[in-house]
Amino acid sequence: MRYETSALSDGVAFNEGTSLLVSGPSTGVQEQVYDLLAERTDSAGTAILISTDRGAPEVVRSFEDRDAFDAGRVAFIDCTGRDGPEDEQGAPVRRLGSPGDLTGMSLEFAKLVDRFEDAGRGDRVRVGLVSVSTLLMYTDVRTAFRFLHVFTSRIRSGGLFGIFAMDPGMHDQKTVNTVRAVFDCEARVDDGGEADLRGSGYTVG
Amino acid sequence: MGSEEPTVLVVEDEPPLIEIYARWLEADHEVRTAQNGDEALEQVDEEVDVALLDRLMPGMSGDEVLAEIRDRAPGCRVAMVTAVEPDFDIIEMGFDDYLTKPVEKETLLETVERLLTRSDYAGLEQELYALVSKRSALQSAKSTREIAESDEYAELEARIEELEAELDAALPDMESGEFVAMVRDIETNADEEPTMPEGDVPDPFEDEADDAGDEDGENETGGSTAGGGDR
Repeated sequence: MRYETSALSDGVAFNEGTSLLVSGPSTGVQEQVYDLLAERTDSAGTAILISTDRGAPEVVRSFEDRDAFDAGRVAFIDCTGRDGPEDEQGAPVRRLGSPGDLTGMSLEFAKLVDRFEDAGRGDRVRVGLVSVSTLLMYTDVRTAFRFLHVFTSRIRSGGLFGIFAMDPGMHDQKTVNTVRAVFDCEARVDDGGEADLRGSGYTVG
Repeated sequence: MGSEEPTVLVVEDEPPLIEIYARWLEADHEVRTAQNGDEALEQVDEEVDVALLDRLMPGMSGDEVLAEIRDRAPGCRVAMVTAVEPDFDIIEMGFDDYLTKPVEKETLLETVERLLTRSDYAGLEQELYALVSKRSALQSAKSTREIAESDEYAELEARIEELEAELDAALPDMESGEFVAMVRDIETNADEEPTMPEGDVPDPFEDEADDAGDEDGENETGGSTAGGGDR
């Protein structure tokens, strides 16, 4: 089983357990990650989105805009610190006080994966984190690197597909190079929204 | 004697159980035992790698003992032994894993093994960060050609690949609880150790520092040709 997509370019398929970094200007990158997550509806897939910037209602709208909202197949971790209900139009929402609460993030993620597993939908999970750039404002590079390393290891062992957003323009080059080393592959998105894919863990065509 | 074997502390108020656990563990571990919280604290020091802690002991509670162990032996991994399946709660309570009674031999040995591996993993991962961080500094500071010609850079690359393979092999099927506990450890350590012990990590800037020293006009002729000058 693989994670197929046409969001980046036609006929790309990611291997189970792969973690992809989508890098480029914030807005374009966010849209790409949502596109990639929204494609999960093609089969029995599910999606978990960890959002540091958009609140849950806005996240749901982003899925709806793509005709990809299905309350039983998506779940959100809202790290914006905003209060709100524990579901958004029926989809589970876990709330964290800050994007810097890494333990809380991993705990809620683990619970949501378990929840999908209990429902027999745990093996085709696309996991999005938007964005690593915001995370880096709340934690030092070393902690972020180690967190992302363990996170991508968990994605690998679970056969999930990880999709992480970063805006290199927000960080110094050394930080960008350090963070990028965690991922199997990277899609560099230019100002026009075109993606250039490199690395391993996928096939084209 | 036995200093190479990992040390496991078994804290359990039922002597027959202590005996069984100790027998299972003895082949490959140094085993210490305690029947209650006070005894456990007498036995805890930095040598202890893993502690198996019965949550419901008479006297001191497992939680209190846990807090003391964390204080006295920060590197020690603690598994709670419990009658009830605890879910992720135990991670939030500060334990690293759990064993549900009745504990079977295989489960016990496997849990101890994974906890030991997790300590190794954290060490390797910190080394990986140090190396990747150095490589990134080089990537930003040097030209593509300088990088291609640098032996240190090549060594760095090789070691990073090696480490990544070791890390992949160390915890092949990481589970959710394990993942959360590891993130918790990373977050806890974030404030405590801003710099890691450099150890064997090669410093690619070492030569550069030497070069800079030469430019400062110190009159050690041939200094820049390093060891070659003697021949």
